[in-house]
Amino acid sequence: MNRYIGASVERYDIATKVAGSRKYPQDFNMEGQLYAKVVWSEYAHARILAIDTKAAEQVPGVVAVFTHKDVPVNEYGIYLMDQRVLAQDKVYSVGDPVALVVAENEKVAARAAGLVKVSYEPLPVVTDVRLAMRPDAPLVHEERGTNILHHIPIRAGNIEEGFARADVIVKGSYYTPRVEHAFMQPEAGLGYIDEQGRVTVICAAQWPHDDVRQIAHALALPEEQVHEIVPAIGGAFGGREDISLQILVALAAYKLRRPVKLVYTRAESMRGHGKRHPFYMRYRTGATRDGYLTAVEVECITDAGSAASTSIPVLQNAASFLAGPYYVPHARIDAYTVYTNNILTMAMRGFGATQPPFGYELQMDKLAEALGMDPVEIRMRNLLEDGMRAVTGNIMRHGTGIKKTLEEAALAAGWRRTSAGWQKPDLGAPSAPHKRRGIGIACGYKNVGYSFGFDDKSEAHVELRLDPQGQIARVLIRIGASEVGQGVLTTLTQIAAETLDVPIEKIRLALLDTAVVPNAGSSSASRQTYMSGNAVMRACQKALEAYYEALRAEEGQDVITASYVYRAREMTPTTPYDPVTGQCEPHISYSYSTQAAIVEVDTETGEVEILRMVSSTDLGRVIHPANVFGQVAGGIHMGVGFALTEEFIQQEGQIITQSFTGYQIPTVLDMPRELIHRNVEVADPTGPFGATGLGETPTLPTAPAIIHAIHDAVGVWIDSLPATPEKVYRAMREMGKKNARRRQGG
Amino acid sequence: METLRFILNGHPVQVEDLDPSTPLARLLRDQLGLIGTKIGCGEGECGACTVIVDGKAVVSCLYPAWKVQGARVETIEGLKQGDQLHVLQQAFIEANASQCGYCSPGFIMSAKALLDAHPRPSREQIIQAIAGNLCRCTGYYQIVDAIELAARRLAGEENGTRPAEEGQGRIVP
Repeated sequence: MNRYIGASVERYDIATKVAGSRKYPQDFNMEGQLYAKVVWSEYAHARILAIDTKAAEQVPGVVAVFTHKDVPVNEYGIYLMDQRVLAQDKVYSVGDPVALVVAENEKVAARAAGLVKVSYEPLPVVTDVRLAMRPDAPLVHEERGTNILHHIPIRAGNIEEGFARADVIVKGSYYTPRVEHAFMQPEAGLGYIDEQGRVTVICAAQWPHDDVRQIAHALALPEEQVHEIVPAIGGAFGGREDISLQILVALAAYKLRRPVKLVYTRAESMRGHGKRHPFYMRYRTGATRDGYLTAVEVECITDAGSAASTSIPVLQNAASFLAGPYYVPHARIDAYTVYTNNILTMAMRGFGATQPPFGYELQMDKLAEALGMDPVEIRMRNLLEDGMRAVTGNIMRHGTGIKKTLEEAALAAGWRRTSAGWQKPDLGAPSAPHKRRGIGIACGYKNVGYSFGFDDKSEAHVELRLDPQGQIARVLIRIGASEVGQGVLTTLTQIAAETLDVPIEKIRLALLDTAVVPNAGSSSASRQTYMSGNAVMRACQKALEAYYEALRAEEGQDVITASYVYRAREMTPTTPYDPVTGQCEPHISYSYSTQAAIVEVDTETGEVEILRMVSSTDLGRVIHPANVFGQVAGGIHMGVGFALTEEFIQQEGQIITQSFTGYQIPTVLDMPRELIHRNVEVADPTGPFGATGLGETPTLPTAPAIIHAIHDAVGVWIDSLPATPEKVYRAMREMGKKNARRRQGG
Repeated sequence: METLRFILNGHPVQVEDLDPSTPLARLLRDQLGLIGTKIGCGEGECGACTVIVDGKAVVSCLYPAWKVQGARVETIEGLKQGDQLHVLQQAFIEANASQCGYCSPGFIMSAKALLDAHPRPSREQIIQAIAGNLCRCTGYYQIVDAIELAARRLAGEENGTRPAEEGQGRIVP
């Protein structure tokens, strides 16, 4: 035993991917297929007066032009059904589809889409959440009477008393921008009616079973009449958790009874799916002169954009993390998410846990500076441990490994533990006289699995095929867990092989077709290793028991089957926020990360080069070391972009960054020259083999660590991301002017 | 337009009635059925569609198909010899250099063009060769390792062991 847990076995699907034979949604074609093209909203906010499709319909080769009139139930949405499949009375952002042209070939579809005439009456556009919250603001969804979609208060202890006890109080305002997932495979889908008469969609999806729920709702069909087949997925990062083009291809195929293919261009992909929420955070943090936190006050406003998507659950998550992974006796947190006419915002790696560290960690750094204390030392004095109370009133449990990640990362980055506390390393001379070196460190933590009372579950079916001697010859696992690149298929085969004690080559996973495999929940919330790992492990344990029983009975059985539905709440029940105090049992389990960044800042250009990144993550138990490193490095890639280059820009709701020229994700040249990663394994007794989750936390500390390092190098705080060279250069110049004035004055 | 004739993965191909606005990637994918060449942006910015034309890596989403008249074109499908993966493909597997995999064919073709021209590339040459290829999953370290591993194997220097220590990534040594 223990052959497979902790071993970097060959990834389940890698051989076909590197051979180029693995099929993604755009690689599927069918005899007689039609091609669809979306007509997008031209306005960020407008009333639709008329849609004239005649000219488009007359183009030879056009088969149909669909508008809202053709959609049986014109609504969908993952959390609230506040989105239209095709715009009806109004457009709420430029991301809204207004019509769908279907033609015999792509070129005709594209040309005809340009001939659909939509008459609009432009409405006042609201794009700034702070303005959108005012009582006189234009309303995005008039029927709601307010743009405030949700508010969460958290009250712990007595905030006045907390600040009264503080020897030092630090204030800060922080902004994190809208961010694009930038998965490499643009959305593509093929809809058709299968041989059983069911509406079928081939597409990339993080939660195919939930897509089916929404497709069936919009088409007014029973869910059994719809299924989704998910082949290889070219990245997701939260951006495929919601519906994108699924209902459009399903609708067209349903109406026309012919296969219909729709492939987004890169610009359409950037327009057609949501973004990471921009956060406006205002902090006030108090501490004693020994560096112990006494009080944290936060106001946080997130931009939901034009529709709810998962903005409420994202806000719920965010609120629970805003005080940071620290013991805070007195807290007052108010978190809001607000509708605007920007493109909707949705799940993205971290799900509301990625933005708060930019606030809570820079506050810790500023506190440390105000107290003349080492940044590792102040964190060590405040980090949560098992048995300590979080601001939501829950007691931390099941292996709170954050302190251990800080210790590992700090030591690996060169910090020394002395009798006087932790001490920062000497960084050596910069590579040129006009460059400055700096080091920064930051922590982050995030839930694993769905939170706040949601009934999180994953179901696995296991089938053991026995040879005539009664040995296990083959194992087939059916589970609806999407492989988005994170490696879940490999993880699940490892867990099955380990549990059954059979060679891993004998384990196969059924293709993901919602009509065939059971619901595993979404590939999000860092949850598949924990949730589906638990389901597969337990289904395998049940199958083994049945197998031994069958052997004893000697009835010559050749197939053994077993199923298991893992329900997190049976092990670790969670509860919703108290509407007044915010007290609750928020999360099933957690993953923790700490990172240190060593940077060099060019004082002549403001450019930042990351020389080294040191990372440490507590993931309970390492299942596949090479996949862990890949997830950590990929998470840091996204964190580097968040810190230095990435901002999805809209002006008055119109998109400015429509391509990878305007929206710059890091290339190999932009990555830290060196990355050192240390795993911390503080086992969660409820996880499979002690494992929790990993997909998201490595993105969390990257940006605050880099921004802290820039401050250490050149003395400026960049409180608004991304820290572009221009922003850093300007901040240095401002600081220079201020210092000159101070010198003159003194 | 005159008949387009070129050598595709070692085999002569001819295409009649080519629409002159067709980019090479679309010819390969839509007309010749080679779906291993991926389109990530259609604007030459992401490198997912990289193929080799007469020894040079090009972004086939922008490269006009008519320009391959008489040329030798290599795509990801041409690397495998029978059942045997190319040393680069094998190295990508061993170095765990592919996650979602959508960018992998493009990276492998960029790397192949490099190794064909410079069998013993420096780390810096490897990085420059893939600087036009975007990956959103891996953070690039394992990709750089894979290319270095393949280069060493092609030079007959090493087999088996991965170049980087576990838990360490290096862009430059």
